[in-house]
Amino acid sequence: MKKSLLLILVLILSISMVAVFSEVAPAEEAPLPSGKLVIWSWAPNELWLDASLDGFKEEYPDIEWEHVSYGTGDVYVNLPLALTAGKGAPDICLIENSHLSSIVEMGGLLDITEKIQPYIDNLATYKLKECRKDEKYYAVPWDGSPVAMYYRRDVFEKAGLPTDPESVEELVSTWDKYYEVAKTIKEETGLYMQACTKANNNGRLLEMLLWERGLGYIDDEGKVSINSPEVVETLEFIGKMTSEGLYSDEVDWTDGWYAEFKSLDKPVASYIEASWMSGIFKSWLAPETSGLWGIVHMPAYEEGGVRASADGGSSLIITEQCQNPEAAWALIEYALLRDQSVINCFVAGDYTPSLVTSYDSDVFKVKDPFYAGQVIGTMFNDIMLNIPKANIYTAEYAEMSSLTVPEIAKYLTGKQSAQEALDNAAAAIRAATGRK
Amino acid sequence: MFTYFFSNQRNNQERFSKTMAIDTRVLKRMKESWGEVKKKRWAYIFISPFYILFAIFSMYPIIFSIYLSFTKWKGMGPKVFVGLANYRRLFGDPIFWQSIRNGVIIFFLYVPIMTFLALVLAVILNAKFVRFFRIFRTMLFVPYVTTMIAVGYVFRIMMNTKYGLFNMVLTSIGISPVPWLDNVWWARVSISLLIMWAWLGYNMVIMLAGLQTIPKDLVEAATIDGANPAQAFFRITVPLMRPIILFSVILSTIGSFGLFNEVYTLTTVGDVPGGPMYATITPLVYIYQQAFRNYNFSYASAVSCIYFVIIFVLTLLQLRYFGREY
Repeated sequence: MKKSLLLILVLILSISMVAVFSEVAPAEEAPLPSGKLVIWSWAPNELWLDASLDGFKEEYPDIEWEHVSYGTGDVYVNLPLALTAGKGAPDICLIENSHLSSIVEMGGLLDITEKIQPYIDNLATYKLKECRKDEKYYAVPWDGSPVAMYYRRDVFEKAGLPTDPESVEELVSTWDKYYEVAKTIKEETGLYMQACTKANNNGRLLEMLLWERGLGYIDDEGKVSINSPEVVETLEFIGKMTSEGLYSDEVDWTDGWYAEFKSLDKPVASYIEASWMSGIFKSWLAPETSGLWGIVHMPAYEEGGVRASADGGSSLIITEQCQNPEAAWALIEYALLRDQSVINCFVAGDYTPSLVTSYDSDVFKVKDPFYAGQVIGTMFNDIMLNIPKANIYTAEYAEMSSLTVPEIAKYLTGKQSAQEALDNAAAAIRAATGRK
Repeated sequence: MFTYFFSNQRNNQERFSKTMAIDTRVLKRMKESWGEVKKKRWAYIFISPFYILFAIFSMYPIIFSIYLSFTKWKGMGPKVFVGLANYRRLFGDPIFWQSIRNGVIIFFLYVPIMTFLALVLAVILNAKFVRFFRIFRTMLFVPYVTTMIAVGYVFRIMMNTKYGLFNMVLTSIGISPVPWLDNVWWARVSISLLIMWAWLGYNMVIMLAGLQTIPKDLVEAATIDGANPAQAFFRITVPLMRPIILFSVILSTIGSFGLFNEVYTLTTVGDVPGGPMYATITPLVYIYQQAFRNYNFSYASAVSCIYFVIIFVLTLLQLRYFGREY
């Protein structure tokens, strides 16, 4: 009897102890995400990512991250292998938008629709297209890739043309006027408007021009449209420029091509490319030409038309294999979806942000000495907001591009007409992808 | 009903015992072979690691690849059985047939010259009157030891139309620059030059080894009888070297269709390999592009199966028509 009484007493005591102490425990609070994250990217992006994460440690002291830097392009071999194998994938990976759709299509990426929903309206619309599949989001856009025309002031001066950006902007406001300017420069100075190699053409100039017109490999219904009359017309314009000797024949990323930018007496007159080229010019390609360049909007198809296009740019994804999705999202949210972070990234690496709410910052209004004191940040931001929707980066972009590029090369080297080239490309794409 | 049941039973029993008899014979034979294996089990144990690895890393992928070629699969998700659809697409695929054509063209561009040169050099080096023949032999062999990737990139820089070393040398002696990598036929020649530079030494060493098997007296006797060196070479040496030459040519055939490093380093611009305009693409490069760029694993498997068949047939033909001893 005594024993059982003792037992009941102990029981009542322990229950009351628990009750008391649970009162004293702090109120329910979600713990900060923590953990170690592995991020895959390629040089020099880890530097700009770290710049974006300035101050991150104060807010999330328990999250650590490690960069794995691959050679350019190697990520697209290693990531799918890791995803299909079911292990070995990183927590976060950087992917160019040109490849993003096919990797989203493949699967293995974390669905972040709910997390990104509050930020959708703050992000550049055109960049979200590849991040999205069937109304669900799988990636967060990072750097934008607005296309403009870089031009050499010294070449324009030698050709007797105005050199200040306002005048040049008007001078090349349409592609027909651009053609006339190119001819003038060729006659007066003997220099080329830019490089566009024939046999080894990589198709990117055509893609930029098509994007400006809202055209693409497929139309909005998914049917192959690379041989539509407007595309043929665009290709024929490039053909006219190359056949009349207005474009040089240097192959991209070779010594001859570099020389055309670096040269102080025999450069190209201009170059149509995205904002990321600026960082490349400044850092290693042509630092000695600082002060000789200017930037204007690319020509439009008709007077008053769209003068914006895109080429490249990347986004970050979280893989389903990530053990710490909360921590991964915290990192991405801090680095890509906060104004100050993307501004830091712009300051460090000249990356135009996709987060349009950051565009008010004074940082973009800085006069850039490389461009003889011109303000270029606001120009690229303005282009970002005007980039049209185009079906260039599709889920089968790599295949479509590799089937179209040789046909373009055959056209530019005079082996077939533009219509034939694009018809062949369309037929090949239809056979390869099963699209109509 | 009972009788029916019983007679059925008896029929079954007879059938059963007959089957048992057959099975017993098979079983007995199996037991005998197993007994043999058990007797020599250590031999089997020692050679098993290779076969186990071979089964895992060669047999299984080959069978899986053949299976994949009948499906449609992009790396993840279900494998959808599509029968012969991939093969049908393959037979109408202009790039694949271009790659086969390229293999044949490149083969004829470098194999005859290289095999002939290798043989001639081997004969010269074999002759006793060449001093320091070991040094020459090493110098000719060293290119084979280099890494093709590094060599390919160096050749690519040297073959740049405007700034490359080759054209600078040509223009300095008055020849107009050659579009080594910008022209369809010159690109094929460039690949051939690269292969010749790398493989001449290797083939020469094989020929040298083969020459050792030819008794010296044969050539001596011919020379005494009045044959000049050329006649001795073509009438005696070459016929006797036939198996070695055949070996070299078969390897070159397989090699010229299976070029990969050379094409990837020398003639790939941007993301499209085998340029310009697919002038230098080979089946192996196409398989890689389909599998690891476009993630069309099932189509790539179909291409590799057909590629295997083509190489197999080519090798058989060569053995049959040029290797009568075999």
